[in-house]
Amino acid sequence: MTSDEPDAAPDLADALAIIAAQRARADDTRPSGPLLFGIWGAAWLLGYGALWLTTRDDGSPSALAVTVAITAGVVALVVTIVHVMHRTRGIAGASAREGALYGVAWPIAFLAQSMIVGGLSQAGASGEVISLAANAIAALVVGLLYIAGGLLWDATSMYVLGAWMALTGAAAALTGFPDSYLVMALAGGGGLLAGALVETVRTRG
Amino acid sequence: MADIELDPVIHAQARLRVVATLASLGAHDRIAFPRLQKLLDMTAGNLSTHLRRLEEADYVLITKTHEGRTPATYVELTLAGRLAFQTYTTSLRQLLGDAS
Repeated sequence: MTSDEPDAAPDLADALAIIAAQRARADDTRPSGPLLFGIWGAAWLLGYGALWLTTRDDGSPSALAVTVAITAGVVALVVTIVHVMHRTRGIAGASAREGALYGVAWPIAFLAQSMIVGGLSQAGASGEVISLAANAIAALVVGLLYIAGGLLWDATSMYVLGAWMALTGAAAALTGFPDSYLVMALAGGGGLLAGALVETVRTRG
Repeated sequence: MADIELDPVIHAQARLRVVATLASLGAHDRIAFPRLQKLLDMTAGNLSTHLRRLEEADYVLITKTHEGRTPATYVELTLAGRLAFQTYTTSLRQLLGDAS
């Protein structure tokens, strides 16, 4: 063992600096908002952007665009899970329980979303209706869960982004196919990227 | 202002770092010993020594448990510890003449 850490009383000003430094260090135990907003913003921009670009030409998205969109989503999901697990490892108690319950709400909500879309399809909805509903409901799920997260962690930026995402999905539905994809890419993806930027500047300041 | 005294249990470099870190977690959160060690860059022996002192003062609660078959130790700040840290920071600011 190295010689013992100074048991000595720190200088008063040093003591304040020590507290501030450890506070900053403890931020590592919480997921980074800017990183998560950024990765999902990029995924939306890329995925929906690809869908819009190819749908504009011949009425339905190309296989490549669909692959790009799905890959972007999967990559963002994996990054999110790895990042959150890494940051929160070794932390137990109330916030771990809240975080786990919040995390499980996502697959539940998206299961419900896919069942609703399946139901519309069974009832004979056209491809266009199915696509509009699938995207709008997905954005509503994201929006409401972001709002819930904002309330849970007292994170106003997350709450505001949630409201924005829910309204983006609704606006995309009103815009109609295929420009709804453009609305999702620019307002949705762009909104998340703007949120990431604002949060980065704010936490540095 | 002359009467303000800083809690000697907290007012020591290493323990101040431990308490400040624990106070930054959620009010009902515990942290695994190795993770706390990493956040503090302290040796295990060193951290144990300081935790024992804090435990004697009832400022931290140490829970030994099992995760599967591996034993795990969790550390959390008690309510008394949280209050003591609050008092400490308030006194500190007063002593520094509310400069910040």
